[in-house]
Amino acid sequence: MFLFPRLPATRRLRCEALRELYRSYRSENTCEARGLRLLREWLSPCQREQFDAQGHFDVIGCDSGKKYRIHCGTAMNVHEIDEAGGVKLGLCFAPKGALAMGDVMLAQKIALETFERRALAVANRCLIVDLQLRSNAGRAGRTGR
Amino acid sequence: MAMQIVMDHNGDTRHHFDPNDADALAKAERRFKELTGQGFTAAVRIASGEVAKISSFNPTAEETLFFPRLIGG
Repeated sequence: MFLFPRLPATRRLRCEALRELYRSYRSENTCEARGLRLLREWLSPCQREQFDAQGHFDVIGCDSGKKYRIHCGTAMNVHEIDEAGGVKLGLCFAPKGALAMGDVMLAQKIALETFERRALAVANRCLIVDLQLRSNAGRAGRTGR
Repeated sequence: MAMQIVMDHNGDTRHHFDPNDADALAKAERRFKELTGQGFTAAVRIASGEVAKISSFNPTAEETLFFPRLIGG
């Protein structure tokens, strides 16, 4: 298990930058652009809307019914989401070889939606630590003394 | 025209074929067997956004997508 800090402000900026990159890719013919176009074509209307607006999309695991969020990226970009909407766990799995980001995200979507158990069997897991929550808890602890 | 889309380091390679042409269909089936034999996963779209993994060649599928074996990162 690894600990990866989550910085909401940084993440927000990163998502905005990725969304901008995604918008510019839509008109290009690079492999990254083609990958993102292919991903977009294969998303459900709901997922496409979410991806366009937020830079990530949710999928439901076919075996467990659990919700996963796939963020832009090719590694550590799949998060299991708990019932309260929080990040429970980070998952790292991808198709073998150097593929475009959109292709990796599409393979992750198809894997979770059609053979979740097998995908999870190869995935590495990591804990996602929300540093903002932690620092707020720390501040609350200090002021409470 | 039907299409087989193979994910690779170039983005994706698309193979178009006429499903009414027996030779083209046989070639597409050979490609399907070769790729799945190498560990590629084949998937088709069954409704808007809904996908299904397939393990045998579907000659009626308009689009079949292939991606390499999954590994842990």
